[in-house]
Amino acid sequence: MNSFMRWAGFIVVLFIAAPLVIVVPMSFSNASSLQFPPPGYWLGYYRAYFTSVDWLIPTWNSILIATATTILTMVLVVPATFALVRHRFRGKGFADLMMLMPMAVPHIVMAVGYYSYFGDLGLVHSHLGVILAHTCLSVPIAFLVLSANLKGFDRNLERAAQSLGASPAKTFLHVTLPILRPGLVISSLFAFIQSFDETVVAIFISGRDAETLPRKMFDSIRQEADPVIAVISTVLFFVVLIGIAAPYFAGALRSRAPKPSRPAGAH
Amino acid sequence: MGISLSKLTEKTNIWPWLLLAPLGIYMLIFFVVPLAEVAIMSFTEPKVSLANYQKFLTGALYQRVFLNTFMTAAFVTLCCLLVGYPLAYLMAHSKPRTAMLILLLVTMSFWTSFLVRTYAWMVLLGNNGPLIAFLQMIGFDKPPQVLFTRFSSTLAMVHILAPYMIMNIYTVMKKIDPALIRSAESLGARGWSLFRHIYLPLTAPGIANGSVLVFVICLGFYVTPVLLGSPREQMIAGLIGHQIEEFLAFGLGSAMAMILLVVTLIILTIYHRRFGLDKLWG
Repeated sequence: MNSFMRWAGFIVVLFIAAPLVIVVPMSFSNASSLQFPPPGYWLGYYRAYFTSVDWLIPTWNSILIATATTILTMVLVVPATFALVRHRFRGKGFADLMMLMPMAVPHIVMAVGYYSYFGDLGLVHSHLGVILAHTCLSVPIAFLVLSANLKGFDRNLERAAQSLGASPAKTFLHVTLPILRPGLVISSLFAFIQSFDETVVAIFISGRDAETLPRKMFDSIRQEADPVIAVISTVLFFVVLIGIAAPYFAGALRSRAPKPSRPAGAH
Repeated sequence: MGISLSKLTEKTNIWPWLLLAPLGIYMLIFFVVPLAEVAIMSFTEPKVSLANYQKFLTGALYQRVFLNTFMTAAFVTLCCLLVGYPLAYLMAHSKPRTAMLILLLVTMSFWTSFLVRTYAWMVLLGNNGPLIAFLQMIGFDKPPQVLFTRFSSTLAMVHILAPYMIMNIYTVMKKIDPALIRSAESLGARGWSLFRHIYLPLTAPGIANGSVLVFVICLGFYVTPVLLGSPREQMIAGLIGHQIEEFLAFGLGSAMAMILLVVTLIILTIYHRRFGLDKLWG
């Protein structure tokens, strides 16, 4: 059993790795269509990406929308998480469940809803519409990360501060927040990525005016498979690689391996 | 006396409500109302009737897509299990360095946008790609069409969803006490029998978790089947998108969305009763 599992596992490693690394040589290819191995190499598609408004505007839109989504998500989720973790009240079980609901609903269902609802409100094809929708979809993952952090919080530290004369506000600012900072950072990061990667709702409501990068990539793959996609894929590949590998090497975070949990239903 | 006092403080404590209110109102306006609108549209577009559901339940095309979606999701789940189990095993029972490298790879796959992964499969399986070149090399004069078939979309979905399965099974495998395996061996359990009676049952919770997650995500999968699959063998999410974008058939699209939603929620409710929904995403 042992050696069989190991051989099978090794083959699976290749299956998982091949599609991740193949985009790198593809991005340097000089072929105008999908050809592998590439007939020759050049940097033309990198120039095409970094000089083309058609690609840079969606990239900028995605960054803008994901940033605004993260801020809005955190403003709403942080107080709610404190209420749900630290207080007991009637209907708490229901509220806990409601926090996770946007994760349980398939995104295509939400896309139909937003398409029609935001159509009535005049919010389709606008940045604001995408931000409002993405915030809903980011709430569960931000809540899960933050509540796990807050549950592990030793409240004696707050009591100690207060017994030494700190006011509740001071305690929150100087004790609670600093201790929670890693949790807040990771939960913001997850909210950001959830929005940056979200495709289905963006396809339906972002239109041409607020086109996000995943929407542009989707359209491009569907129509002509523009080789510039390989460039974007390579850039994203290295961003993720650096993001994941950095904590391994950064001494400060040595004990904290990246947790690869990711919102479900995101496809 | 004590009870009434605690009830009183519970009632007068408005803090949790104040803290919850902004998010609660937000979710009401931007989550509950749009969902309700889908539900309402399914009964009222184009006129008030059950016609949309009737159309779905009697139309041969819709039934085929619905069935196809279920079969695909079940098949993808099975493949993820077959692919994920050995890899999780390799991770759980290798030297720390090897295990960490594989964990890094799986994490990479997790975090890489699934549009990127979908595109990569287009390259790998395309007519000018390595698979076709290999098939020609070993003697296929006219290699079969691989891209834009059920095979290509299934393969890509297995690749995209496998990390969910792997992480769930890996977490459980890591917690297995090696002493348990040793004592089973000392009692004579070997090979297949050891796996079948000891190891597999111990990893069952991870398998259940991973399978529910993969199955539910796969049911509602839109992007990959639309981009890589055969246009003649759509899944339900693709068909919903088609109704809305091409035909502006909001009623029928909403009815199908409601059916997808109800099926998804039934599966998750069963899961929630047994394990608790917050465990699902780890």
